[in-house]
Amino acid sequence: MKLEREYILKELGRIFNEKFEINNPGAGDDLREEHEFDSIDAIELLVEIERILGFPLSQEQKKMAMDVRTIDQICDYIQKMESARV
Amino acid sequence: MTEDFNRRIMERKVVITACSALTPIGHGKQQILHSLRNGISGVKPLRDDGLLSDHIHSKVFGTIDYPVEFDFKRSHRKTMGPVAFYACQVVKEVLEQAGLDDNFITSGRLGVAFGSTHGSPTVQRNIYKTFFSGSKDQFSNVSAVDYLKSMVHTTAVNITKMFGITGRVISSSTACTTSSQSIGFGYEMVKFGLQDAMICGGADEYDTTTVAVFDNLLACSTAFNDTPHLTPRPFEARRDGLVVGEGAGAVLLEEYNRAKKRGADILGEVIGFSCNNNGGDLILPNARGIKETIRLGLESARIRAEDVDFISAHATGTKMGDVIEAQAIHGIFGDTVYVTGLKSYMGHTMGTCGVIETIIALYMMEKGFIAPTLNLEKIDKRCAMIKHVTNLVESDIRTALIQNFAFGGVNTCLILKKISNPNQH
Repeated sequence: MKLEREYILKELGRIFNEKFEINNPGAGDDLREEHEFDSIDAIELLVEIERILGFPLSQEQKKMAMDVRTIDQICDYIQKMESARV
Repeated sequence: MTEDFNRRIMERKVVITACSALTPIGHGKQQILHSLRNGISGVKPLRDDGLLSDHIHSKVFGTIDYPVEFDFKRSHRKTMGPVAFYACQVVKEVLEQAGLDDNFITSGRLGVAFGSTHGSPTVQRNIYKTFFSGSKDQFSNVSAVDYLKSMVHTTAVNITKMFGITGRVISSSTACTTSSQSIGFGYEMVKFGLQDAMICGGADEYDTTTVAVFDNLLACSTAFNDTPHLTPRPFEARRDGLVVGEGAGAVLLEEYNRAKKRGADILGEVIGFSCNNNGGDLILPNARGIKETIRLGLESARIRAEDVDFISAHATGTKMGDVIEAQAIHGIFGDTVYVTGLKSYMGHTMGTCGVIETIIALYMMEKGFIAPTLNLEKIDKRCAMIKHVTNLVESDIRTALIQNFAFGGVNTCLILKKISNPNQH
């Protein structure tokens, strides 16, 4: 079943709130610049993304996530990984 | 030119302008002084840790059992295990007390010398649990930040991160001399002009693995499990070993003229430091090595033995260690200098003991009294040749010597001097 963007956004909102204590980040906010979201957080987020996807990501796929900067881009990344799986 | 340089270095004074401690006998000056003046012990029953506590013979621990409010934001908290929380809290209090200018804190002229016995054992324990769980699913439980929380220099670098400190970083990790080395090495940084100020200290969190190690070495107290406040008993006839404890402490060292110029309170001057090794056994204490440390410390401070008013002994409460330390003290000072074993109040806070004992010496220097060694009811005859403090003494301390010894044969000696405060109104 294809993940809806709305569902992904809702899940990300919950994760950023509960895990990273970042409340309602704007979809286009630069997370590093505006919310102190750093590379350590990105690694932690990948664990959550694997949970949303329901399957593990390869090392190469994870490295692709390191350039992601915004919530919008995270959504794009998740949908791209899901499509690649299909 | 060399002579001029040497003269300027020798004239450069290093003073302590702020301090804070989190200990089993209280958090901050008022609580700690209250415990010292009233003979209150911070040794409590060992908590059940679900792993080792049932198998350890010693059932006591120097415990911080009061709540501590850590008001740190997540971007700082995420790389911190309990030991770094302790460290950052005392440093935060020191910086608030000192009122240093933000530009100076980030200038590169302020450094950090801070350590712990072994990073965060709580985090290390969780990593090993995952390693040995045998489950591939558990692998992701090893967090990206677990190394940052458990590495040996976790306290020092979490401090630099939280406060934006960009100067030198020294992270001593020599067990029981960790924080005395931190102060000593910080002193040398400022004395020799490499930094203008250093934040120095140490921290250690609640940890039963350390108790288990000393327990297996038959070095822990076991005879007072039902009456924790009666142990440890440094220099006392019924002493039966050390008690492990937790805590944190930090001092700010500054070059004297800089401190004076900015109107800082001067709590005391560090006038000497020495550190050596016994050059042999890694566990047994060594009177020759200790005496040499004291001799080097006095030489560094350019004072004579008779100039010292008070000695904070390492005095862990072990059967042989206390006798050898008493012999060494007697060999240098005879029976003329007051000696207290401050671990009698809180147990052995491991990497933190040097800085906590330094801070207590500063407090007593300010208030003009010397706390007695707690539980010293009947002095062991083999330790009786020195001047023990058995009751609180109202006495001015002009010069204090703090000595600490560690596994590995490492010895340190710090010498503090009371200084008239140029900024006191």
